[in-house]
Amino acid sequence: MAIPEHSLITDEHRAAIGRKSDPVTVTIREEDARRMRDVLGDADPRYADGTGIAPPYVIAMLGGGPRRGMPQVLPGGLLTQQEWRFTRPFRIGEQLQAISQVYDIRDRLGGRYGYSVLVTQGTDYYDAEGNHVAAAMITITQFDPKMASGRSDE
Amino acid sequence: MSQRYYEDVNVDDELEPLERVPTTDMAIDFFGRDNPTNPAFADAEAGKRLGVGGALVPGLLKLAWITQYVSDWAGTEGMVRSVRAAYRRPDVADRPLVLAGRVVEKRVEDGAHLVELEVVTLAEGQPSTRANVQVQLPSRG
Repeated sequence: MAIPEHSLITDEHRAAIGRKSDPVTVTIREEDARRMRDVLGDADPRYADGTGIAPPYVIAMLGGGPRRGMPQVLPGGLLTQQEWRFTRPFRIGEQLQAISQVYDIRDRLGGRYGYSVLVTQGTDYYDAEGNHVAAAMITITQFDPKMASGRSDE
Repeated sequence: MSQRYYEDVNVDDELEPLERVPTTDMAIDFFGRDNPTNPAFADAEAGKRLGVGGALVPGLLKLAWITQYVSDWAGTEGMVRSVRAAYRRPDVADRPLVLAGRVVEKRVEDGAHLVELEVVTLAEGQPSTRANVQVQLPSRG
């Protein structure tokens, strides 16, 4: 595929910016918290069995996360940036509402991919009282593998 | 794990480097063996086909390590408020990664004692991930 002369981002893609998804219910699972703690060798007493608190990185396991509903402009994808924000600790067993939205879509000419599209999407997590608990955001650099040497998605 | 207080922290303070060796088992167990993930996390050949040179280390695993690294530095009364990472180059399983960090700013905002850090993962001395981390510390005051 040749490098396009015009942006491949359509009005339909742009219309997705700022449009919030329907909420999805996710659960902070004890088995995820324990397994991830074990893998990381995390001995922080705040997150030990019986405390009822999950380590912050359990956010990596929450469904309804940032990639849900992400516009796909080009077939390849490389995770280039990622952000977590925490308003308060996660409680084991609590259910949260995940609401996602696209924050930005822009294209880039040049660089290792020739032509690429950067999509930034985020998910906010709210508790049963509607209070913000955490947020996750990612930027995916989309590219056409035919225009770039093979890279992978982290 | 010792407790760190806002007043004890100075800009340009460095965190003690920490070496981690990511393995394919870690990558699989981090997400859970029953959960589907990128095949390149577990299969060196799949990673090589993608041009990585071996099994790929998940970005989320590195982000979790960075979070844990700063959380341990802060102590149990501290709280990591945000972690923002830019993945500069892929990391390959079984190759050591060194976590290193430095305090770049401290301030009091709405009564919260905040410290900003820059954290990197170094592979063979070269940064593969650059992160900005904000942590809230307790005050002696």
